Amino acid sequence: MAAVAAVAPLLATEALCKRFGGLTAVDDVDLRVAAGEIRAVIGPNGAGKTTLVGMICGRLAPNSGRILYQGRDITAMRPWERLMLGIVYTFQVTSIFKGLSCYENVALPAQRRLMRGFAARLALGEQAVAARVHAALAAVGLSGIAEQRADSLAYGHQRLLELAMALAAEPQLLILDEPTQGLAEAEIEQLCGLVRTIAQGATVLLIEHNMPVVLALAGHVTVMDAGRIIAEGTPAEIERHPGVQKAYLGR
Amino acid sequence: MNGHAARRVLTLHLGVIVLLFLAQFALPDYHHTNVARIMVLAAYALGYNILLGYTGLMSLGHAMFFAAGMYGAGLPVYYLGFGAAGALVTGVAAGMLLAALFGLVALRTSGVSFLIVSLMFAQAFYLASLYFNEITLGDQGFSLSGNLAPLELGGASLGFHEPALKYNAALLLFTACFLLSLGLRLSPIGRVLIAIRENEERTRLFGYDSMRYKLLALVLSGGLAAAAGATYALLFSYVGSTFASILFSIYPLLWRLLGGVGTILGPLVGTGLMFYLVDIASGITSAYLLVVGVVLVVLILWFPQGIMGTLRAKWLPWLP
Repeated sequence: MAAVAAVAPLLATEALCKRFGGLTAVDDVDLRVAAGEIRAVIGPNGAGKTTLVGMICGRLAPNSGRILYQGRDITAMRPWERLMLGIVYTFQVTSIFKGLSCYENVALPAQRRLMRGFAARLALGEQAVAARVHAALAAVGLSGIAEQRADSLAYGHQRLLELAMALAAEPQLLILDEPTQGLAEAEIEQLCGLVRTIAQGATVLLIEHNMPVVLALAGHVTVMDAGRIIAEGTPAEIERHPGVQKAYLGR
Repeated sequence: MNGHAARRVLTLHLGVIVLLFLAQFALPDYHHTNVARIMVLAAYALGYNILLGYTGLMSLGHAMFFAAGMYGAGLPVYYLGFGAAGALVTGVAAGMLLAALFGLVALRTSGVSFLIVSLMFAQAFYLASLYFNEITLGDQGFSLSGNLAPLELGGASLGFHEPALKYNAALLLFTACFLLSLGLRLSPIGRVLIAIRENEERTRLFGYDSMRYKLLALVLSGGLAAAAGATYALLFSYVGSTFASILFSIYPLLWRLLGGVGTILGPLVGTGLMFYLVDIASGITSAYLLVVGVVLVVLILWFPQGIMGTLRAKWLPWLP
């Protein structure tokens, strides 16, 4: 753990707090994520994982504390500005544009970085967008379904489409909120392979319930319970940690 | 969209414009004027469609933008002796300014709240047009004939009472609004607007400041509505507060629902159909509104997404 902290982190939260009424969902959290790692955040339901990443991507505003990204304070930055820094979030509940074609779904994030300046907002070389769209769809193994409506896809493919959308946004820090939820065994295996490939070019922050997935993917694991970080370490260390076993693994 | 599909879309839509241009040589006088009026009102519906069809915001207050264009053009002609071109500019500017101010307040809301807020603003605008009747002449209104200098075109002097001028000016307005809508739809901005309609939060997290896009859509929408209002005042020579009433906020919604949800051709189809429905029914019976109502219900039963919307869903998925 000391080794991780010594490297200048890509992402750091300092004493981050979020309260909903009387409930403190995230309580004084210091999280450090180094560039290039796959970091898993685990914990029982209601531990504050989704709230924590919600603040990192800008969906939620913290009550106190700071968020630093590449050394910059981004606490007050709006979500669309954070995306331009490379922070990309995928929702826990599938959040695609159901009524649009897969192509259009991916084209929206794919065109974002091309829209610089007034003229580019009015007209883009559609080839440049199309190239990015097809590359992202191919990366998740969904080539050939570009013209299908997104809601006509099977659930597992919808999750993959969502991943293609995130990839098209060119993430530096990709936040995946329970990506394996509702997937079949074979699909989970495919997804793990994908995440490993993505992690070669980006840092991945993974919220996950599925312990085998966490153990297979993550270099480091952060365990949360009741809004606080209760343990941090390699997967092997976490498995042995007595507090974790009590709070989370239920042994 | 690939090149082939884009060509097909362009051919169809330009074909409609060409057809409208040629129609003026074939139409009898009565329908000639009707079609001119339909084209101006369809431009209004196109403006409305930018907000509802592409951004998903339903307004019940667009009459205020139409009327802002009407007064913005009509008052300078009536009191200051403006020409048609100057009046069109002031009319459109009035509508866009009103839309921007309205948007800064009203876009804090969405859904039903937005509908109600737009209705309240439009009612305030309507009541103001009655209250200041020393200037606006209230619901009695005023005529522009006699105030508006004829249009000078390359030596020829064209009065605004000329049917040919009416028709072609209306066609020009419609074409401009039509191409603007189509261009917007196919532009990167259009993609963002549609995404906002489908899922606003997801769009924000993909790097788009949705408030700015919604404001842009509202200002464009108000601008087209105002251009239609200004042109209506200039071509049909009448300005009155009736055009600011709730009925004129409901019309574009009806035209659009009838014509087709989120299509570019829908507003023209819906406006034309509704216009002739009223026209024909009122020639048959004095209870024509009853007939119109029944026909509308039947049409919506058969074409739940409007005529063009249903065509698209069933047979023409490439229709923008």
